[in-house]
Amino acid sequence: METWWQCEIPYPFVPKNVLDAADSVRASLPSHWCDPKIAADLYHEVLDEFLLCDDEGLNVLAIEHHAGINSLMGANPMFVGILARQTRKVRILSLGTLVSLRPDPVRIAEEYATADVMSRGRLEIGFVKSGGTEMPSNHTNPVGNLERYWEAIDLIRKTLSTHDGPFSWEGKYFTHRHVNIWPRPWQRPHPRLWSATGDPFTAAEVGRRGMVHVLVLRGPDGTKRAYAAHRHARAEAGLPQVSTDNFAYAAFVYAGETEDEGRAGGEKLLWFLNTSLKSAPQHSKFLPGTVPPEFAPQIYRTAPPPTAAPDMTNAEKGVVPASQNARRLMSLGVDEAMAQGILFCGTPDSVYRQIMDFYDQVGGFGHLAMIGRSGFMTHEESVKGIKLFSREVAPRLRDVKPIVPG
Amino acid sequence: MADSPASTHRLTVRDISLEAVRRGAGRPILALHGMQPIDPAAPWIDLLSRHGEIIAPSHPGFGDSPRPADFDTVYDLVHLYLDVLDSLPHDKVTLLGFSFGGWLAAEIAAAGSHRLGRLILVDPFGIKLSNRETPDILDVFNAHPDTVRAREWHDADRFAPDFNAMTDTALVRYARGRDALCLYGFQPYMYNPQLKRWLARISVPTLVLWGASDRIVSPDYGRAYAGLIPGARFAVIDAAGHHPETEQAEAFVDHVTAFIG
Repeated sequence: METWWQCEIPYPFVPKNVLDAADSVRASLPSHWCDPKIAADLYHEVLDEFLLCDDEGLNVLAIEHHAGINSLMGANPMFVGILARQTRKVRILSLGTLVSLRPDPVRIAEEYATADVMSRGRLEIGFVKSGGTEMPSNHTNPVGNLERYWEAIDLIRKTLSTHDGPFSWEGKYFTHRHVNIWPRPWQRPHPRLWSATGDPFTAAEVGRRGMVHVLVLRGPDGTKRAYAAHRHARAEAGLPQVSTDNFAYAAFVYAGETEDEGRAGGEKLLWFLNTSLKSAPQHSKFLPGTVPPEFAPQIYRTAPPPTAAPDMTNAEKGVVPASQNARRLMSLGVDEAMAQGILFCGTPDSVYRQIMDFYDQVGGFGHLAMIGRSGFMTHEESVKGIKLFSREVAPRLRDVKPIVPG
Repeated sequence: MADSPASTHRLTVRDISLEAVRRGAGRPILALHGMQPIDPAAPWIDLLSRHGEIIAPSHPGFGDSPRPADFDTVYDLVHLYLDVLDSLPHDKVTLLGFSFGGWLAAEIAAAGSHRLGRLILVDPFGIKLSNRETPDILDVFNAHPDTVRAREWHDADRFAPDFNAMTDTALVRYARGRDALCLYGFQPYMYNPQLKRWLARISVPTLVLWGASDRIVSPDYGRAYAGLIPGARFAVIDAAGHHPETEQAEAFVDHVTAFIG
């Protein structure tokens, strides 16, 4: 199993009374609450932590979120560019610039090809569907987002792998009549592609496309179901079985010298859930195109219905909306988060055991995306966590080789 | 708010089947709905149906009208309703458009149809008037639901939908309508930058009605809108928000019948 370290670079230094009074801590919070001097320090600290990962042999992962206290990484390609040059050994996963929010996938392919060449072939390209507050922040129609996502990926893939001169693209969402980027990517035919999704329908498509499938904070049941949808779709399409190398899981991870130190680190990571997920109803449950209309009774009612309605969100055929998943996560404590498989913390031995328990519960995965710093965790605490994890846990995980589950 | 599909009527145009409210007899009045399909139980329908046959289809994607996968623009809707106009009985049709449907009606009238007799626009969307930093139309997808409710109605407590009292079917229809509206009207938000220029092409008698308390889109916008249509009459209906036909059904129908004679 490979480990990918990440920090979303949250900005937690906004007074609590301001956050409590705001109906959203993303998208709408005025940026006068973000002090550029503090932001600069955060950028420098986290970039240094990424470089420490390079020294310690942990792969690095850069995400993208926009306009909120949860993350200052609105411009993913800029981080990927810095990491491509400043790191020397490890692999770099962009997870990822939000492709359905950007008007020109060809430009995205050009950025990725540049980073792949600059890093001499160490880039991996991840795709995230986006949604919620990202839609107004990026002026994107939430209806049709998923279709736009797949078309953008198709165009990026073709752009990265076409080297015989210009081709034309006249798709439903994107038109570009003269596609021919320089440089072409280092890796052939293109860097490995990843996709993050918890819903079984998208998971099936990720499976058919043979992408690395990432589950983020979904716990054992949701993760197992999504991996199963991935495998099932491949089998149905007559495609060969894939190994655990095609599956990834993202969770909060902190190793300390003692159980208490590890748990204290873990508790700091949960700031992300408890504080940074709050978003206004028009940017979450009422956002068009986000939840199928059949879920409207649960979404719109604030009181019990006149006649009892079936709870479709719990039905196997349904999908728990991301907004509902977020509401569930916002109130978690350390023990609950550990029990739900979204936080692995404690001593290195204990963290390793928790990860492998989860591994067994979901049928294995080849990549751990560890959120190692969040909230008010300091640079020093983060550095300590990276060193302990990379020296005491990562080597043992590396011994867990890809398998094709029987 | 309708508990059930608008009616058992279907209106079929080429490969598209629309649910439709049909009420009354005589000269046709084609009603194009706004942000949600027309409620068959709305009092204005009974009142107005004494003066003609109301045909009120739900746009593809709204209510129980399926939307073909490649049908996703105002352009599609305009051509669909040009086809519907061609298919109706009588020589001339009165076109009545509310809110988002008012935008469609204005587009259809500007494009021109020999079947069009009269045009009535009720708090229509569709054009851009203010400067680039002043939106004319409230972004109902980006404003808090309480804000939208307060700005949509003169008397929200009496007229706004009560989600807790609505049936599952009605709520699913409501959510479906929001998705469809967002699909068609997201970008640019609820207007066609070119339409303002071409409103001058409208050559049929036109009445523009506006709820005095409409704060989704203001009466001043309506006055300017009417000023761009040659010879258009403009009237404000008091004690009504974005839906004067709902909040002041009788006054609304009085205005309409006085206009259509």
